Amino acid sequence: MTRRLERWRAARARRQTTAALDDEQPAVSAELDASPVDIAADDPALAHFQYAGGPVDLDTVSFDSAAVRDLRAAGVKLVVPLVAQGELIGLINLGPRLSEQEYTSDDRKLLENLAGQAAPALRIAQLVREQEAEATERERIAQELRVATLIQQNFLPRTLPDPAGWDVAAFYRPAREVGGDFYDFIELPDGRLGVLTGDVTDKGVPAALVMAATRAILRATVQNVDKPGDVLARVNDQVQLDIPARMFVTCLYGVLDLETGRFVFANAGHNLPCVGRRDGAIEVRAAGMPLGMLPGQDYQEAEVSLEPGESLLLYSDALPEAHNERREMYGFPRLLGQVGKGPRGATLIDHLLDDLHSFTGDDWDQEDDITLVVLHRRGAAPANHGRTRLAEFTVRSAPGNERLAVDRVVAAIAGIALAPARLERLRTAVAEATMNAIEHGNENNPELQVEVEVFAEPSALLVRISDHGGGPIDATAEPDIEAKLRGEQTPRGWGLFLIRNMVDDVFVTADDDRHTVELVMALEGDDDDVPR
Amino acid sequence: MDDSIRMNMRSAVDGVAVIDIDGDVTPATEDALLEAYAKCDQARAVVLNFGRLSYMNSGGIGLLVTMLVRAQRHGQTLHAYGLSDHYRHIFELTRLDETIRLHDSEPDAIAVAAHDPVAAADATAARRLPGR
Repeated sequence: MTRRLERWRAARARRQTTAALDDEQPAVSAELDASPVDIAADDPALAHFQYAGGPVDLDTVSFDSAAVRDLRAAGVKLVVPLVAQGELIGLINLGPRLSEQEYTSDDRKLLENLAGQAAPALRIAQLVREQEAEATERERIAQELRVATLIQQNFLPRTLPDPAGWDVAAFYRPAREVGGDFYDFIELPDGRLGVLTGDVTDKGVPAALVMAATRAILRATVQNVDKPGDVLARVNDQVQLDIPARMFVTCLYGVLDLETGRFVFANAGHNLPCVGRRDGAIEVRAAGMPLGMLPGQDYQEAEVSLEPGESLLLYSDALPEAHNERREMYGFPRLLGQVGKGPRGATLIDHLLDDLHSFTGDDWDQEDDITLVVLHRRGAAPANHGRTRLAEFTVRSAPGNERLAVDRVVAAIAGIALAPARLERLRTAVAEATMNAIEHGNENNPELQVEVEVFAEPSALLVRISDHGGGPIDATAEPDIEAKLRGEQTPRGWGLFLIRNMVDDVFVTADDDRHTVELVMALEGDDDDVPR
Repeated sequence: MDDSIRMNMRSAVDGVAVIDIDGDVTPATEDALLEAYAKCDQARAVVLNFGRLSYMNSGGIGLLVTMLVRAQRHGQTLHAYGLSDHYRHIFELTRLDETIRLHDSEPDAIAVAAHDPVAAADATAARRLPGR
C-alpha cells in the first residue's frame, strides 16, 4: 500500500463566520486555525482515528501523539475520521461549538452520517487527482525520452566508414531510459581513422546534451592535436568548464593506422579495448580519469597492433555489467572468454549479443545503453604471430601426474636453447601449475583432464595450463614462513607463490568453467647462470 | 610406503642425527619423511641430506614447515646440505633457509650442528643420548 503523506493532511478546517448555521448545530469555530496539519505516517493517532468508528473528542485521547498535539494547537476539539474502504483518507476537524457547549450525541450522529457520505466522494476526487498527476508525469517522461533519443541518435554516425581492408561495425541499443552512450569515427589525414566510444554517467536529456557537447569538442580538438593522450587532456579541460556537478564522461579515443593495423589510444576511465586474436583475446590497458572530474589530467597512451584476421572490440558498461535473474554479473572474464572463442569481424557483435541473451534470459530489463564497436582487419591470420605450437597434450587429474606434464613439456622444448637454471625454474612452475589444476581446478577427479599447450615465441616459451574449475582462483594470503611456524597459516599454500617467482610472467584467467594459467619464460635474462 | 623415496636415519656425533633423503619430497612421501624424523627424537639437531633429492614440490615445502614446527616444539635445530642451486633458491625465496641452516657439506653441517646449544625444551633427553 503506497500512501502519500499528502493524503494524511487532515482535511482542512474552513473558516466559517456565517451565522447561517443554527446555533444548535455543530459549527466550526471562527478562531480555528485554517492551516492544514501534517500527520507523520507512523503517528499512533492514524490507527486510532481509522478504527474509532466515529467522531473522536481530542480531550479523550490519552496517548502521546504529535498529530494530536498539533491538532489541539490548531484549536481542533473534535475530529471526524473519513474512512473509505477501510482506509483513513482524511479528517474533518472541528473547533469548539460556537455555543461553547459540548457536542451532543445528535451532533456526533449527524457528523458520522456526513463523514460516511463525504469519505467515498473525497476518495474518488483524490483518485482522479492522482491519476491526472501520474498521467502528466508519464507524459513528461515520455517527452523527455523523445528529446533525449532525438539528440542521441542525431549525434551517432548515420553511416559507418568503409576503409579498404577493414570491416567496421557498430551496434547501439538504448535502454528504456536513454543513457549517454556514444561512438564516433573521424577520418584523419594519412590513412588514419579516429575512433571514439564513450558514456556519460547520467541518463535522459542532460546526459544526451553532455554527450553531444563532448563529441563536438573532441571533433574540434582532433583537427589540431594528434596524440590521443593529448586529445583527451584538452577535451577534459574543455568539458570541465561546462559539465554539471556530479556528471562525468568516460571515453576512449584511439587512432587506427589503416595501413599497419596499429591502434594507439588513450582512455578516460572507459572500458578497456579488447582484441580478438587467433587463439584467444587480450585486453589492453591505459589509465586515465573520466572527463569532467578534475582539470589538468594526464592520459596514458597504449597501443596494440591488429594483424590480419584480428578484431578490436570497444564496448560500454551495459554488456559486462548486465545482471541475470540470480543477480550474477556477466563480467569481464566472460566477455574476454567470449571474444576469445567467438567469431571475428562484424559477426562478433551477434555472437556477444546471443551470449548476453543466453546469460540474462528473455525477461531482461536492460539497465543501460549497449554499445559495441568492432574494427576488423580483413585477411588470413599469420601463423600465431611468430608463435609456434610445440606440443599439446592432456594429463589425467591424479596426484603426482604433474610430473608427466613436466616431462612432456621438457621433451617438447628439447630443441630450444634455454639456460639450465631457467629450465629448472620452468619445470617447477609447470609442476606447480599442473598440481593446482589437478587438485583445485579438477578436484582430483580422474575423469577430468588438465590441458597443456607449449608454444615457442622468438624470445620466450609459453606454457598454457587449463583445468575445468569454475569461479575465481583462490588467491589466499601470501605465504609467510613466520606465520606458518606460529601456526597462523597452514604449512602448505606455496604453489602460486612459487609459480610467480619461477617464471618471467604469469597470466591467470578464470571464467565459469575454466581456469587457465599461462607461464611465460624468456629464453634469456640476466639471471641465466645464477638461479637467484 | 611410497617407493619414490628412501629415508635413512643415522646418528652422526653426539646428539646429531642425519636423515638421508633419496628421492622425492612431496605429499606422497610425507609418511616416510615424518617416520624418519620421528626416529630422531633423541637428537638435539637434525641434519637433512638433500644430496640425492630428485624432486620437491610446494607440498614438500609444506611438509618441511610441518617438520620445522615439530622440531621447534622439541627444542631441536634443523640443518641441511646437498641442495642443488635450484632448491637452494627455493629455500631462500620461501625463507626456509632462515630456520633450516644450509651448509655446503656433511662435515660442515655436523660440525655446526654439534655445537648448537641445547635448547631448554628437551635438554635432559638430549643429554641422555648416547654418543655414536
